Amino acid sequence: MKRGWGVTLLLTVLGCLAMFGPSTLGQAGEIQATDTVLSGVPTPKTEDIAAKGDPGAELYGTANDITLADSKKGLTVADLANQVGQNKIAINFVWTLVCGFLVMFMQAGFAIVETGLIRAKNANHTMMMNFMVYGLGLFAYWVCGFAIQMGGSAPIANLGGVYPLNQEFVLNLFGKPWPLFGMKGFFLSGATYDIGVLVLFLFQMVFMDTTTTIVTGSCAERWKYSAFCISTILLGALIYPLFGNWAWGCGWLSQLGVNFGLGHGYADFAGSGVVHAVGGLTGLAVAMQIGPRIGKYNRDGSPNVIPGHDLSYVLLGCFILAFGWFGFNPGSTLGASGNGCLRIGSIAVNTMLAGCTGSFAALLYMWIRYGKPDASMAGNGLLAGLVAITAPSGFVNTLSAAIIGWVAGILVCLGVEFFDRVAKVDDPVGAISVHGLNGLWGVLSVGLFADGRSNYGGSWNGVPGSVTGLFYGDAGQLAAQLIGIATLVGIVFSLSFVGNWIVDIIVGQRVGAKVELAGLDIPEMGALCYPDFQLKAGDFGGASAGVAVPSLAK
Amino acid sequence: MRLLGLACILGGWAIAVAGLFMTTATTGRIFIACAGIAVTLYGILGMLNGYYLERAIWKK
Repeated sequence: MKRGWGVTLLLTVLGCLAMFGPSTLGQAGEIQATDTVLSGVPTPKTEDIAAKGDPGAELYGTANDITLADSKKGLTVADLANQVGQNKIAINFVWTLVCGFLVMFMQAGFAIVETGLIRAKNANHTMMMNFMVYGLGLFAYWVCGFAIQMGGSAPIANLGGVYPLNQEFVLNLFGKPWPLFGMKGFFLSGATYDIGVLVLFLFQMVFMDTTTTIVTGSCAERWKYSAFCISTILLGALIYPLFGNWAWGCGWLSQLGVNFGLGHGYADFAGSGVVHAVGGLTGLAVAMQIGPRIGKYNRDGSPNVIPGHDLSYVLLGCFILAFGWFGFNPGSTLGASGNGCLRIGSIAVNTMLAGCTGSFAALLYMWIRYGKPDASMAGNGLLAGLVAITAPSGFVNTLSAAIIGWVAGILVCLGVEFFDRVAKVDDPVGAISVHGLNGLWGVLSVGLFADGRSNYGGSWNGVPGSVTGLFYGDAGQLAAQLIGIATLVGIVFSLSFVGNWIVDIIVGQRVGAKVELAGLDIPEMGALCYPDFQLKAGDFGGASAGVAVPSLAK
Repeated sequence: MRLLGLACILGGWAIAVAGLFMTTATTGRIFIACAGIAVTLYGILGMLNGYYLERAIWKK
């Protein structure tokens, strides 16, 4: 029955279009005639629904449900057009919000992955860092971060335009415009108290939160909590939003195509660079400053394994993160209706594939190299694949996604070995390799693998056509991606390093040796995570696998 | 040493961006950007990390 009403309505409207033709439909007189026809569309009687109900879902969802501007006039073309517009925006709002909720849930995944990979004596401290990045980051982002990042990003058609976000600070240098930061949306006040802006804020906020939570992993087990708080606010208020603006807020990197003819400008679909590389590089900057944990390195510089305390936490957390990534990447279309948004299916499959091949590659690498299929590195391989596919997920085909994930799985193993043995930067959870290294790989892979088949409204970053990488004929896109990478390692790292250097001078970044040996839970947080357990302070042995590869114990 | 490292890192970025003005050839821009990234990485891993490794806690 329901289908019957729908078909009747559709045929009636199509009949109108055929009678009057699209070229003349816009004229006022003929719209009146169409309104007349529409008013005759048969609909189920409300008395019938009142008497019998609608257990078969046959009577709801008809012309009865279209909001009428004037009930006396009945259904008009204007009502129909407005309802279509409202439905599009509603679909996109719901899609973006639900995807944002999924990304928010990734915080739980990060929290238990990181907590599982550190020792039990620091579990409360690590969990509380992951918990409070949400509050601290959100506050900083609401105050100024969002405005700096997205304050000049209008229009965004999928969310109704978000027109209040219309002011960008632009520096004119060397004959070119350099958009540097947004200037609308501080405290979400004034005209930015706008439903579209608020949806965009929620979605962007949870992305920023992901960045801040990456740093807590690389600095776990020796980071002073007060320093963590200040550092997180700094990252959420300034550093992340600046690069976010340059990439996503119509900033200078996104305009490399328009201003310098480099492909479609820096393209980062869901944030391998904006989110993960920024987090990973900030993690590197802070981890270098605070130094390795006591006992991580011997006097001759050889590393020791410091195993985590709960491998089941680690793998469960990885699954939660993989689930949340379906909000991260497909949600970055900012809609499910209009402007190529139906590619969400392709993006979701790419996401799934890259995570799969990433974990597979890491597992095989560890098995072949060390004789055992290391569980924590398989988990990190999954995350590495997901991180790497984040930027290209909207621009590549499934074969490329599988290759990108596979390379990421190998890269994360090599990265962990490099930072552990060569650079001697202590990263308890492998965050620098997972997010930093593979974030950069993801950015690069857009410039290589983008197949030129995506179409998000006919252009990207103001350049007509589809994003196309080197392997499909556009070397300019690769150049744009390389400029993005140079900016990440050059500017973002420097800002993070200097900012945290100042934090170190003011409050000190590292806890004292006694606190570190005793475990941070009591001295820093005032409570143990596991008060009923007997903890072994300073115990570096154990049978379970840490993120450090097994042979590092030798 | 830390300031020198930072200067090296920022210099690497400046090289990459300067490539946009030095040539209009895409291959040239790619090459210059790669050179800039290499300089930046040397600043991070060679100079800055080297500074911290010299003062590492496990050497005391």
